[in-house]
Amino acid sequence: MSQGTYLKDKAWLYLPFFGTIILVSAIILLLPYGTVYVQDRMYLSFFLATIVLCVALFFIGTLYNVLIWMQGKGLSGSPERRLLRVVMKSLRFVLSRRFAKVTAVFVKDALYLSKLKDRSTLRWLMHLLILGGFILTFALDLVVTVALDLVNYEPMIVETGWAKIWIRDFGFEVGGLMMLLGLVIAAVRRFIYKPKMVRTELPDAVSILFLLGVVLGGFILEGIGITGSIAGHTVNQEYSFVGYAFSLVTPSSWGQYYDQAWLIHGVMSALFIAYIPFSKLFHMIATPIAIEAEQMLPSGVKPG
Amino acid sequence: MKKLDISRLDVLALMRYDACTRCGECTSTCPTGGEAQDVELVTPRGKILRLKELYKKQYGLKARLLGPKEIPEEQLKELSSRAYECTICGQCKTVCPAHLDTIEMWENMREFLVANGLAPLPAHEQIVKSIENYDNPWMQPRTQRSRWSKRIEKEVKIKDANKEKCDVLFFVGCTAAYDPNIRDMAIDTARVLAKAKVDFGTLGNEEGCCGSTMMRTGLFESTRGMVQKNIERFEKSSASIIVTSCSGCYKTIKQDYPKVGKVNARVLHITQYVNELIDEGKLVLDKKVEGKVTYHDPCHLGRHNGLYDEPRKILKAIEGLDIIEMERNRDEARCCGAGGGVKTAFPDLAQKISTIRVEDAEKIGADILATSCPFCYQSLKAATETKGSTLRMMDLMELVRMACSDGQ
Repeated sequence: MSQGTYLKDKAWLYLPFFGTIILVSAIILLLPYGTVYVQDRMYLSFFLATIVLCVALFFIGTLYNVLIWMQGKGLSGSPERRLLRVVMKSLRFVLSRRFAKVTAVFVKDALYLSKLKDRSTLRWLMHLLILGGFILTFALDLVVTVALDLVNYEPMIVETGWAKIWIRDFGFEVGGLMMLLGLVIAAVRRFIYKPKMVRTELPDAVSILFLLGVVLGGFILEGIGITGSIAGHTVNQEYSFVGYAFSLVTPSSWGQYYDQAWLIHGVMSALFIAYIPFSKLFHMIATPIAIEAEQMLPSGVKPG
Repeated sequence: MKKLDISRLDVLALMRYDACTRCGECTSTCPTGGEAQDVELVTPRGKILRLKELYKKQYGLKARLLGPKEIPEEQLKELSSRAYECTICGQCKTVCPAHLDTIEMWENMREFLVANGLAPLPAHEQIVKSIENYDNPWMQPRTQRSRWSKRIEKEVKIKDANKEKCDVLFFVGCTAAYDPNIRDMAIDTARVLAKAKVDFGTLGNEEGCCGSTMMRTGLFESTRGMVQKNIERFEKSSASIIVTSCSGCYKTIKQDYPKVGKVNARVLHITQYVNELIDEGKLVLDKKVEGKVTYHDPCHLGRHNGLYDEPRKILKAIEGLDIIEMERNRDEARCCGAGGGVKTAFPDLAQKISTIRVEDAEKIGADILATSCPFCYQSLKAATETKGSTLRMMDLMELVRMACSDGQ
């Protein structure tokens, strides 16, 4: 392959890729965050810098892993060229008639985890709670960010608004509780029951404990917000039912550390995102892709 | 520094290495890594994690930033040896909650090991030489391939498909053709075809090894020539149906040959074809055969090809048989231990696995252990004999032949 083609492939892949990262970073940095609960803007700035860095690391790590896949047998050209072709074919696939069928398989196998359900109800429930909680929380985060910072949706801002109560308070609690339950089952199974099939090495322990720290941190933060009567936590606290329970055992004096707790929770969440492509948690991305790849990829990429 | 060439791993396989959730579901049911030895590196999870760990040392982000690391030779050799302690039975594919097609992964992993000069194992090299020199893995001369048919030449008309036109080409396979203890499988198949008045023939001494043994040991590229030759023979015979009584040949011709060239004829396993003959009324099973029979699903027929009902339908069609299932059956069936080159390179391990399977049949009180694959037959029969079991090992076609009245 000529040097010119090689550089062209790289340019076609990396320019849109880094352009997207810059665009996402710019959106994150430029949003007004007028209704954010943290009072000290320094903490907010530090968090934003961290999340931008972590999101960039997530994308770069994911791309790097995908480029390793593209070094495999099946297509010709540089890994970058192969990836571009696969992306283009996948986009065309999205517009094809087979897409609906593949989507159904995706929902059944990758989201509902049908096969795991047949083998172990407990492990299926554990995974479904963690995955479902993660997806719910992520989706709510997007909805809340758009509602608060782009459209200034009043019911999401005022403390008595329906959206504030049911989405910002109740919705996040449900998502967090789902993850918490799933993680507790995982931790008890892995560290206490220790079934023979489970192999626990440092990365396995770190993945569970770190995520558990993030989720618990969120509830502790909510508890501190309620007990310290921080803005946004003064009425209808019972809708944040888990955070409310935590507030009952949290001294009110802890309210003065709300900003610090908010920053720790935020930074941990950001670090968790950055950690995904470099850990076993990457299976959250790779498994659904692998399940669908056989149907989505062009025939040339398939084995044989 | 020796650099691993990951371009020999499939794109899908590389994805699947990342998609493995490390849950360990595969470890407990794996016949070689889990049940027989309890060695993590032999289990699917162990192999995936080790291979990934090794290639990430040279291709991972850290390697990109700080330079690739040398992989100790002994680590590579250990992985290679352990990768061959797998029968490629596909039990891991059945249980994997991440839907990984592990059968494809292991075959591809072996191709990768061969391409990187780490395989095949010395024990397999002898078989490769035999196939290259004699066209069969049993070091037997080509002229002896059709000897099995001498016993029935007066009784059954078998056409020479190289010279005469016939509707059905019976692809005998090396094991049934050469192993004196297995020859009855070929004989019974021919008898059953004759009873149904099928116009059939074989390629006689011209039949070449299907290539299964080499493909399962990672030598797919080396088989292209022999596959092409066999396809040419098929085309020359002008048969519209190719029937195999060997599950390994069936998988190879059905799934692997199309990667090399087009096979125009319908490829059927004898269990499929016999069902068609029964349904069409061409084969009548009118004799009673007494016995408490259990069926062992060969991996190449079951998990690799999804043929679970066909053999059972045949058994049900035979009057007098009491059919009972082993606890592990159909897609959960235990492996016999012979596949994937394990019997050649690790005979003790293969025997251990086949003994476990025989015990499965004994536990349910069966008199007859039936199967429809010469490799399974060979290894399970050896296990019954070593164990001193009262189980009678039978090929499905033997039962069918017994159920056909003489007048047919």
